[in-house]
Amino acid sequence: MSSRREVIVASLFARDRASTFGPAVSTLVRGGDFLFVSGLAAVDPDSGERVRGTTASETRQILVNLKQLLEVAGSSLDKVVKVNVLLHSMLEAPNMNDVYARFFREPPPARTVCGARLPDDAKVIIECTALV
Amino acid sequence: MRKVVAAPLPGLDLRQHYGHHQSPAIRAGGLIFCSGMLPIDPQTGERLHGTLTSEAHVIFANLKLLLESAGSSLDRLVQVHALIYDSIEYDVLNRVYRQYVASGPPARTVWTAQIEAGFKVELDVIAAA
Repeated sequence: MSSRREVIVASLFARDRASTFGPAVSTLVRGGDFLFVSGLAAVDPDSGERVRGTTASETRQILVNLKQLLEVAGSSLDKVVKVNVLLHSMLEAPNMNDVYARFFREPPPARTVCGARLPDDAKVIIECTALV
Repeated sequence: MRKVVAAPLPGLDLRQHYGHHQSPAIRAGGLIFCSGMLPIDPQTGERLHGTLTSEAHVIFANLKLLLESAGSSLDRLVQVHALIYDSIEYDVLNRVYRQYVASGPPARTVWTAQIEAGFKVELDVIAAA
């Protein structure tokens, strides 16, 4: 029986791929026609280390990584249908929005933005659903 | 295939009124993904702050407009994320919520979050097209 669910890319990072247990969370999972992308915090794609910066710089780093992840999985930012953005403070929403607008071409995906307590002092976490 | 659902009334275009880089909703793969729904006047885009109950009524009215303009409806909701400003209002939310999704309600998760512009509630939903 063919599965409608497939883990596409466990991680961008060689370190995670080589680890005994692998990353605790699959970064991308395909289900049906959709790709579900885990919430991404800002990490350096070469070292896998968390990058700590402003809301704007963390947003930029996350979206650079997201673009690469989607393309590795055969999708793209243009195929994203819905984005959820979690911010450490809603006062930072315009700082996120300005950077965000440079990544998503017309027409942009549907989106929800809210403020939440984020792990590991992250200022931004972005998750999304895309078409394959 | 990914298609934009345009705002059925001018007030519902949050991008035009508030610069949010988002489409009102996207139709894809037999589903409709709505951007976070807020209590705004569907004609003018004015923010309608009030009680959680009054805000939820406006949101459901807006959601009904948006979904019906896309050929869907509140009866076709699949999943709802309800963000509220304080979990103490959980019962208040439920009282309004029941009026709009009477039978066969969608999957739902409620949590507390900081909502834009100090609103008390926001609905993030997926509906069947």
